[in-house]
Amino acid sequence: MIELKNVTKKFGDFVAVDNLSVTIKAGEFFGFLGPNGAGKTTTIKMMAGLFTPTSGEIVLNGFNIVHQPVEAKRTIAYIPDHPFLYDKLTGREFLYFAGGLYKMDKELLHRRIDELIEQFEIGDWVDKRTEDYSLGMRQRITIAAGLLHNPQAIIIDEPMVGLDPRSAKIVRETLYQQARKGVSVFMSTHSLPVAEELCDRIGIIKNGRLIFCDTQDKLNVYKQQYDGKFESVFLELTK
Amino acid sequence: MANLSRFSWSLRNNMAVFLHILRFKILSFIKTTFEWKARTIIRGIGSLIVFGGFAIVAYYLASEITEFVLTKTRTGLYLFHRFISMMLFVFFIAVNLGNIIVSYATLYKSTEVGYLITKPVSFTNIFILKFLDNFLYSSTTLFLVAFMVLLGYGSYFSYPWYTMLGFLVFLLIPFMFLAACLAVIILMAIMKIAGHWGFRRVMGGLSLIYIGLIYFFFKVSNPIKLVEEVNKHYPHVDEYFMSLDPGFLKFLPNHWIAEFMLYVARGEIGHALPFAAILLGVTAACFVVCLVIAHRFYYKSWLITFQMQATVNSPRTYERIRRFDFRKPSKLTPELEALIKKEFFQFFREPSQWIHLAVLLILIVVFVSSLRGLRFAIRFAELQLLTYLVLFAFSAFLSSSLALRFIFPMISLEGKPFWSIISSPFPLRKLYTLKLLIGFGLLGVTAAVVSTFMNLPFRRLTPEAIYLLWFGLFSSLSIAAAMVCLNLGLGGYFANFQEKNPIRVASSQGATLTFLVSLVYLVFLVLIVILPLSRFFEAAFIRAPFNPEGLFISSVILGIVSGIAALFGTLVGLSSLKRDF
Repeated sequence: MIELKNVTKKFGDFVAVDNLSVTIKAGEFFGFLGPNGAGKTTTIKMMAGLFTPTSGEIVLNGFNIVHQPVEAKRTIAYIPDHPFLYDKLTGREFLYFAGGLYKMDKELLHRRIDELIEQFEIGDWVDKRTEDYSLGMRQRITIAAGLLHNPQAIIIDEPMVGLDPRSAKIVRETLYQQARKGVSVFMSTHSLPVAEELCDRIGIIKNGRLIFCDTQDKLNVYKQQYDGKFESVFLELTK
Repeated sequence: MANLSRFSWSLRNNMAVFLHILRFKILSFIKTTFEWKARTIIRGIGSLIVFGGFAIVAYYLASEITEFVLTKTRTGLYLFHRFISMMLFVFFIAVNLGNIIVSYATLYKSTEVGYLITKPVSFTNIFILKFLDNFLYSSTTLFLVAFMVLLGYGSYFSYPWYTMLGFLVFLLIPFMFLAACLAVIILMAIMKIAGHWGFRRVMGGLSLIYIGLIYFFFKVSNPIKLVEEVNKHYPHVDEYFMSLDPGFLKFLPNHWIAEFMLYVARGEIGHALPFAAILLGVTAACFVVCLVIAHRFYYKSWLITFQMQATVNSPRTYERIRRFDFRKPSKLTPELEALIKKEFFQFFREPSQWIHLAVLLILIVVFVSSLRGLRFAIRFAELQLLTYLVLFAFSAFLSSSLALRFIFPMISLEGKPFWSIISSPFPLRKLYTLKLLIGFGLLGVTAAVVSTFMNLPFRRLTPEAIYLLWFGLFSSLSIAAAMVCLNLGLGGYFANFQEKNPIRVASSQGATLTFLVSLVYLVFLVLIVILPLSRFFEAAFIRAPFNPEGLFISSVILGIVSGIAALFGTLVGLSSLKRDF
């Protein structure tokens, strides 16, 4: 379960995230949308422990990310928008490295890595150094690394950027299956069709404030007020 | 006529493009260096204070050493300028070697080159831009230091400041530029040969040739033998002993500068000027050769890097399970294993890291083995004290340089993938401790070995030199610990996660500031130990018993000062990890 309670993040005088509150239950797929610079990545970075909130609380599966960072991070997978990997490691080495950080048993790690290599269809190039990878390859390795330790929550920033249709399908299916298995998924995306297809609930952020947060059913009601398209609702709300 | 006009148009066009890019590079530099942000202003003021302090210390040290060597030890102008020549040789090698390694990253691995190559910019223009960028970026601090040292040297001879500025502009900067030109010529040759023989093999061969040449230089121009030969003519040490110079010396640029300075000191300007002319002429010629080679070969050699990378980075290379393979079972805890192996692969798969370390370690071995030949034929307490202090300062300086080159960039080199550790449940404090231990492992062992070998020759002087040995070991380990903590901490504070090139990180503004702080600390240490050491050598000289209390007290003070430096570095480093990523 992911809980954000009155979270605010300021950079000097600039308020990037303003009093944001949202709760994502176990097994819920939450889509986080908004125009560029709205505060999506800042929110996600606070959830992953990369930024410290100026005020408010972020509780991940019962652990406060500021006060119990180690416990909180053990239960989540963070997948960034730019999948930077250590250039000098191969994809397989990065997977072992990531598993090691979660104190995974070597035997279990071997097994999980083999499973994920197959699931993400990365066997052909997993033993090449990541410096030669395309964006899509990096993204698949990053997502595989996030799933190694069977997280209770997945926090994912723009997962479809740079992916070819096949990779995008693999990622969509993987995330959907994870949610059905009871994992909370918090996904930031610019892709409205993806959000509509996968998410149980959608939140829209603008200028750091959550301006819309509701289920697909409610969204459908809104859509009817316009031309039946989510795009029109989104553009109107973020105008 | 048509050809001439096309050439003229092409030249003008190239020049215009060159100046256009240069304008934006300067603009970008100014905007990032002179930002009106509190942090940048504080850093700027801090830099100014430390740079200013360091400049004054460099001036006084150079002035005092010149005075001491020429007046107190009566070394004579000839011998003194031969020492300067040897130091310049080491300096030339350092600049040359540094430029070979840094140029590889700037000329072949830089994203800026990748961008410019897709634009209508000539390859020669790109080469010149990156070459100058590289040279100015890594050498501007050296210009300041060199100028202050020259001023200190000149103060003994009462030269006005503008004369020393002339020395800097017309001698030392061309000298460094020559080293840099030769470096890129060597680098392009390496790339050409590496395309056929493989990068590692070529670098290994080149390192051996390089070390062989350095060994040959010091073997032939043996400083100890030179001192003994000159002292046979004592007190007529100010004569010009050209017959003692090995013949090959006159072809070396360090010799030209030393000869120029010697003749100026002797008031024979007419004899001095040809040496400056030779230096300037050779530097200009070397730059032209460098441009011609770059014009014909830079782009081709740039393409070779891809071919080399593809050869090194084939999946088959990594399919075999090796000693440090992640797949092998380990006795370490999973997170420790993950981090240590990651550090290992990151280091040994980055040529600019392992090659630089290997070369430095071989040079240290050469230095340590040459210490065996240290003799004390001249029983003169002040000279022995000076020898010891020079060696002490050198070993401390070595620790500080190694720390700056390899420890300071450690946090920055985590780079953008650092998200994977920060967002994991692994505590950053542990990561920091691990990096400290790795750093201390490298520096502590090196410092202890150098210190032991440095002190051994003094045991022939007096049996009480055992005190020196223990003092040396304690001080070198304390300095190593302080250097590791200071460099890792300030490296974290000034971390630049965008920069992938370790050498550029180690020559950034933050690194320079750290280096200067380290040097201030080292000068302070030399001041702490100078008195008890002088008592020690005086006692050895008159064969009187030595009271080790003074050495013990200064060791305690040294330990406390090092502890404070280490604590300061660690606190700064740990707090920097709490910053937003």
